[in-house]
Amino acid sequence: MTTNQSDADEAPEEAAEAPVDDAEATADAADAPADGTAERAQRFAELVGAESWTADHGLAKIRVSNEQWVGAVSTAHKNGMPFFSFLSAVDWSRDVAVGEPLADEDVDERFELMVRLSTLSNDDSITIVTDLDKANPAIDSLTPVLPGANWHEREAAEMFGIDFRGHPNPKKLYLPDAFEGFPLRKSFPLLSREVKPWPGMVDVEAMPESAGSPSTENPEATDGVADDAAEGGVSDADD
Amino acid sequence: MQTIDPAAMAHISEVSVSVELQTADMTLNIGPQHPSTHGVLRLVAKVDGERVSSVEPVIGYMHRGYEKLAEVRTYPQITALVNRIDWVSGFANEIPFIVAAERLMELEIPERAQYIRLILTEMARISSHLIFMSSYPLEIGATTPLMYALRERERVLDLIEAVTGGRFHPNFNRLGGVKPAAGAGAQTKKVVQDLPAGFLEGTRAAMGKMFEICDELEGLVTGNEIFQARTVGIGVMPADKAAAFGVSGPNLRASGVDFDLRKHTDYLPYDKFDFDIPVGRNGDCFDRYQVRLDEIRNAASIIIQAVDTIPSGPLQAKVPKIIKVPAGEIYVRAENPKGEMGYHLISDGGRIPYRLKIRSASFSNLAVLPWLLEDQLVPDLIAILGSLDFVLGDVDR
Repeated sequence: MTTNQSDADEAPEEAAEAPVDDAEATADAADAPADGTAERAQRFAELVGAESWTADHGLAKIRVSNEQWVGAVSTAHKNGMPFFSFLSAVDWSRDVAVGEPLADEDVDERFELMVRLSTLSNDDSITIVTDLDKANPAIDSLTPVLPGANWHEREAAEMFGIDFRGHPNPKKLYLPDAFEGFPLRKSFPLLSREVKPWPGMVDVEAMPESAGSPSTENPEATDGVADDAAEGGVSDADD
Repeated sequence: MQTIDPAAMAHISEVSVSVELQTADMTLNIGPQHPSTHGVLRLVAKVDGERVSSVEPVIGYMHRGYEKLAEVRTYPQITALVNRIDWVSGFANEIPFIVAAERLMELEIPERAQYIRLILTEMARISSHLIFMSSYPLEIGATTPLMYALRERERVLDLIEAVTGGRFHPNFNRLGGVKPAAGAGAQTKKVVQDLPAGFLEGTRAAMGKMFEICDELEGLVTGNEIFQARTVGIGVMPADKAAAFGVSGPNLRASGVDFDLRKHTDYLPYDKFDFDIPVGRNGDCFDRYQVRLDEIRNAASIIIQAVDTIPSGPLQAKVPKIIKVPAGEIYVRAENPKGEMGYHLISDGGRIPYRLKIRSASFSNLAVLPWLLEDQLVPDLIAILGSLDFVLGDVDR
């Protein structure tokens, strides 16, 4: 994992000394490709005055404060990132009404609002994120500086309950006007699952002889599979 | 037979005169069911005489909540969901999702599987663009091209069906490769059946026909005087405006931007093939049509090159039976027929994604419509709408 805090010294080469979450991330840092993601993240983080940045899996992620949000996105957009890809949010939550709870139980509960900008000449992109308070998720709208954010903000508003201050048309986008609740929040139940458990879950239950082990061989792939492909957490139990 | 009372007639003519004196903005409702809306879309247009003063698209009729549904499904089950997003190019929707999960798992995909993915993705592109070639002239009054384009699309759908078993929703990708055909696997030992017999020759023949239909459409539509009058210089979208709205794919390239993710990213081995990127000059409806027509030729050429050079080998990397994707966050995007389609995938190491944000091309391509239609003529409204080539399943997700 390549990571940098603005209060840490400076260069991404020192990232190895930065606190690392778990053993897997350390392994990533060893063979992280030199694809320029870290350099790009650092460059834009300095440009917009970001709090911190990360660069994993080709994702240059720049974290800014709520006050910097509009200015940061606008600055990046005008400085080499003309293409607006999307705006969306993630509900980081310990309690989930649907799906499985997070493996990390100490997660910092928040809404993570993200916007992705790209160039129109190569594969470079940046993702600018900001953390919103769960109790009062509100932030200034990007629509006045980035017209494409209009519908994306309306979607995030109705799905997560985020208030975009100054949005020119703060109406629901997909949902009926009378709809109550915010469907993409983790606390929002999926009614069909409340009535009947998902039958599809059955086919991924552990087989009796391999209970709890994720490393069972795939019988469909015993023949004609690439021999060198079993890496990264896949055991060679069949060999 | 009814007789008409002359006194009533006099009254009607008075009314019509007084209405004409008070021309005000009229609200014109288009849809929610209209042949040109490719799904269920409603447009609320405010018109002042022949001018459109503002348009508000009303979407959500096709909203199926895939982002929520993905949070209760395992990774292998999600491919069945995502190929219903843009249903005229179902196969192409699976690719960025499956590549995102594979990258987090650090799987090496066998080359033959990658080639099969690439061939089927390009077939999906041809199928999608042939729908445009049939529906767009139809929407502005030319009925004949529909018959020609749909006839040729059947060839492509037959090939997709022969490989995957499905014409629209193949659900053919597996983490680590593509689905082994029936009979492949443990029982047949060394014999791996993958592509159906005669597929490569059939594909070469069908792609030859694609060049022919492009020439035919060129003769039928491109030079047609009425078609040109309806499209040249209509609905001009400047490149900077398109980029700021997130318009991508052929719509962006028609505005003169030479940008195609197939050239710049490595989600499939496009770097092994020789192909051009068609780019428009004016960003009008005609350029959006022409770019797509040229892309059919390019896709056919890529498919022929891929069929000629497809390597032999396995179809599947070795994957665990119970698939858990290591914790991480990744965004993978692909050049789909409609534009940039991407998945922002957040995994916490479990069997199901914690969050899957679906960035679909048509959503942003349609979002530019209110800006594009402002102050246009009512007759151009459908011409501009159709030229954006969106599918409501891809807008609403």
